[in-house]
Amino acid sequence: MKALIVDDEPLARRELRRLLADFDWIEIVGEASNINEAQKAVDTLAPELLFLDIQMPGGSGFDLLTRIEHVPRVIFTTAYDHHAVHAFEVNALDYLLKPIEPERLASALSRARDAASPAGSGNVASARVAGQSVESVERLFIRDGERCWFVPLREVCLMAAEGNYVRLHWHDARPLLARPLSSLEERLDPQRYFRANRRQIINLEFIENVELGSGGLLHVQLRGGPEVEISRRQARLFRAQMSV
Amino acid sequence: MSSNLETGLAARAALAYWACQLLGWGINLFGQLSSAASTVGQPLATAVIEVASLNALALIFTHQLRKVVKRHEWHQLPLSSLLPRMVASSVAMALPLAILMHFMTVANMWSGSIQQIEQLPGIVSWIGAIDPLLLRTINWSAVLFLWVVLYLCITSLRDRRSVELRQSELKRALQTAELRVLKSQLNPHFLFNSLNSVRALIADDPAAAQRAVTQLARTLRYTLRSGHEELVSLERELEIVEDYLELESLRLGDRLRIERRVSVPADRTRIPVMLLQTVVENAIKHGIAELPEGGVLSIRAELRESTLIIEVENPRPAASAPATNEGVGLRNAAERLNLLFGNDAGLQLDLSSPALAVARIHIPQTT
Repeated sequence: MKALIVDDEPLARRELRRLLADFDWIEIVGEASNINEAQKAVDTLAPELLFLDIQMPGGSGFDLLTRIEHVPRVIFTTAYDHHAVHAFEVNALDYLLKPIEPERLASALSRARDAASPAGSGNVASARVAGQSVESVERLFIRDGERCWFVPLREVCLMAAEGNYVRLHWHDARPLLARPLSSLEERLDPQRYFRANRRQIINLEFIENVELGSGGLLHVQLRGGPEVEISRRQARLFRAQMSV
Repeated sequence: MSSNLETGLAARAALAYWACQLLGWGINLFGQLSSAASTVGQPLATAVIEVASLNALALIFTHQLRKVVKRHEWHQLPLSSLLPRMVASSVAMALPLAILMHFMTVANMWSGSIQQIEQLPGIVSWIGAIDPLLLRTINWSAVLFLWVVLYLCITSLRDRRSVELRQSELKRALQTAELRVLKSQLNPHFLFNSLNSVRALIADDPAAAQRAVTQLARTLRYTLRSGHEELVSLERELEIVEDYLELESLRLGDRLRIERRVSVPADRTRIPVMLLQTVVENAIKHGIAELPEGGVLSIRAELRESTLIIEVENPRPAASAPATNEGVGLRNAAERLNLLFGNDAGLQLDLSSPALAVARIHIPQTT
């Protein structure tokens, strides 16, 4: 499993490297000392696992995650950060406190491996093994106030524009993504997602039933989500694509 | 928190006061009614109205007296001056009631007991025989005196309890504050990062690891001791600052560059303990550690006309608005400085240039 270490302190990176030497299935593909370096490293090296410090000069670990396109699996590391640890705990994120205890590292790594195994879901590596398109298992990191989420895109049933932001309908949560709907649309698999109208993109796998509306409109009921109206223009496309 | 507690207590005290007032005068009312019924053969309805209005008046009088007691702080008085006031106020309130009774059908409700009073020895029987007005006055005075005694007893008991409560509250708040100060002085972020550095060094450079442990121990010991002494020599404080800076250098590597210019007889110069340390910590935490390229931390100290001037200068992130918690450590340090040296001493943080922070300390030196 390809791993990237992101920490501003050289000694902390060295220490983590040594701790990881005991795990031969972990391949450390690079290090970064700030989030700009880290962003480049993620793009070029495509790590599957990220060891991510929170407090760094020039931007926090959370900032990095909202910036990168393809979010790998993340294990947060921090020495002492009351707020971050609170965020990890309420959101059930994987984190390690420095100095890192080898036992805790081992259990975090085994969780990462379980998630990456073909039986697990939602990981780039497993998708490649299974021959699925990478896009279909992409995850988004969203920080909305105190709460944060790793949201697997395939589990999102509806994306609705709210100004320059996007409200995601994901199970019972409604996190707000700080980017415009159009930039999100570029990343989506057109086989799976459909632009219903100017403001909404729906996940086709969540469609429960479709009803004809007046004036050529279509009403789509989404499983675990609201009813969405497909505009007249898009309705033609929709019929063609779904052959209804 | 304590003001909430106090309003809660005050509301409960007011409720208890009115409950006691109504209950007490209610009991008195029924007592008087029963004696009126047995002694005065009146239509009872008139007697009820009369006795009820007398007791209502008594309630109003005692409520006014309560204000006097509070305003003139009777609780603080010694018994020798309290007792005459209690008697005088009881009689003063009793007199109008006794006079008013004179015009009522229940005027002679206590006259029935004159025979009994006559059997009493000495002055009481004499007074009772002489004047029904005096008898009524004495009767009311006794009731009202009882009221004053009860009121003073209950309120002083309550006051003592609330004082105790407030003291324990205060003690707890003080302990919390002390704990918070200690925690901020221990600087947990630095502590755990340093421990992590030491862990890394143990395998790579055991000698450096040993040195780091010693420095960490010295820094911690100095921080813990700082609660016991107010002033130290600049020399002593600089030693600890050096220990601290070496530990930070382990973490920050070549991002931390240090410049020192101390032209002061540091062994004879006195400064508040942990003052310079706090300022330097602040410079690193909010300045150099926030910059990807790091920068130069400059510590300067000189003596100008028997005033010690210390300047700590560091680069800072350009766009940084002063964070909310940034000033707390420095503000505490400045307050402590003023407490120890008055307004001749001071600590200012100069953020006038966009990418630089300069903390300036001036402390008068007596020797």
